[in-house]
Amino acid sequence: MSEPRALVEHFFRHEFGRLVAVLTRSLGARRLDLAEDVAQAALARALETWPRRGIPEDPAGWLYHTARNLAIDAWRREQAHAKALPRLVDEAERETAPPESRFADEIGDEPLRLLFIGCHESVPPESRVAFALRTLCGFSTAEIARGLLATEANVQKRIERARHRLRDLDIDFDALAAPQLHARLDAVLSVIYLLFTQGCHATHVDVPIRRDLCDEARRLARMLADHPVGAVPAVHALLALMCFHAARFDARVALDGGVVLFEQQDRSAWNWNDAREGMAWLAKSAVGDELTRYHVEAAIAWEHCRAPTFADTDWGRIAELYDALDRVAPSPIHALNRAVAESHLRGPQAGLDLLAAVVPENIPARYPGWHAVVGELHFRLGRRSDAERAWREALRLSTAGADREFLRRRLADCRRFPDHTADPNS
Amino acid sequence: MPKFLFIFRHSTDPQSRPSPEEMQALAVQWHAWMQKFSASILPGGDGLKPGGRLIKAGIETDGPYVEAKEFVASFSLIQADDLDAATAIARECPGDNVIEIRELAGYA
Repeated sequence: MSEPRALVEHFFRHEFGRLVAVLTRSLGARRLDLAEDVAQAALARALETWPRRGIPEDPAGWLYHTARNLAIDAWRREQAHAKALPRLVDEAERETAPPESRFADEIGDEPLRLLFIGCHESVPPESRVAFALRTLCGFSTAEIARGLLATEANVQKRIERARHRLRDLDIDFDALAAPQLHARLDAVLSVIYLLFTQGCHATHVDVPIRRDLCDEARRLARMLADHPVGAVPAVHALLALMCFHAARFDARVALDGGVVLFEQQDRSAWNWNDAREGMAWLAKSAVGDELTRYHVEAAIAWEHCRAPTFADTDWGRIAELYDALDRVAPSPIHALNRAVAESHLRGPQAGLDLLAAVVPENIPARYPGWHAVVGELHFRLGRRSDAERAWREALRLSTAGADREFLRRRLADCRRFPDHTADPNS
Repeated sequence: MPKFLFIFRHSTDPQSRPSPEEMQALAVQWHAWMQKFSASILPGGDGLKPGGRLIKAGIETDGPYVEAKEFVASFSLIQADDLDAATAIARECPGDNVIEIRELAGYA
């Protein structure tokens, strides 16, 4: 028996996800709400018992058996009610198997199956991420709302929508065959990717990186890579890309919580365990002839990692990769990043020329990053008033606290160094 | 030394349930509370299973009592010098509880 503090980090949260998945297999995707209530009740029982008696030898097994018994109790109660209520009789007659036989003792790939079920084409994409965070990662509505920068009511609505769709579809958990899983793999990957980018980018009010979201994305992807359905190059490439980004997380955040620009990042703070894991995935991803956006993004992230100094960064290669990325998955953001690489390669004016040539109609208007880059390039050319105008626009559009703080600092630089004086950063 | 019954009530509102992450933190905090006050906590405290039955005016009804905003979730027996000392122990309980502190009369 050991103390509750001996539990691994996020044990309750991760077990919640596993329990919901295992229970859903037994109770049916229609009964997700019951599965969640039972998982919650099993954790509540652990909370009552473990501080008094210590952690059982096999805490996951203890939770599973507790949840299993709670589910059987709940199922029996429902059967009793069903007998009393004629409206429910049909349902009761349909489910005649003894409750015990409905619970598998083996815990297998249920979490992964639930992830695929949640990515059913009839579940709206914005619901899929919230649904995965709730059922598989065990976050509360309030925690998801903080992570996705949405209101609790909005998150609740997204989860409910997914539950309603899944209830109506009445999917047979075990009937998901390999071809269906393969067909839905793209959707699953984009949920994981979205989870990671939500965690990675400064969308949060105060914290530039939501590591818990990034960690969950990597956990789900590793789970996927362990399964025959997910042991494919695209999954390995996605893992590589996430690991290379994670390697630079410590260096990206200043002690005061602010954003640190790539050129100023302390390379000794890069996490080489993450980078090495990324290299291993990257090597595995280089099989076959499929080139996904994850492959290209992993290569870009690796280029940012591998140079020993900022000056050694291979901007020519990065510019090429952004071109390739734009062909695989067209987006004006890639052009923007391409322009940044170009400015390091051939100077700020080359970057601005590129942006002027590819400017799409509506993206610059609502994307603060666009104006932030334009401001940076003008600033480097010594055109402080142009820089100031662009940064003011970026500040107007930006909602993230760390980004806003960064832009305010740059605007102060504009005032300190009037037009055509030396750039303090060069 | 006087003995006290701590009656812990939880909200029936699902929105106020702690998240799994919070529950893990609570397990650690409860363990620490029990260690700190091990000399004051008497054997006999326990949690209560949900459900149960209510007899009122000879009529039986099944619990839990869905109309209620709170239900009794667990209880502890505590020995302390006086009500203030017992209250101090209750104040250190982790989590967002409603705790009723009652002194045992000693009739039995």
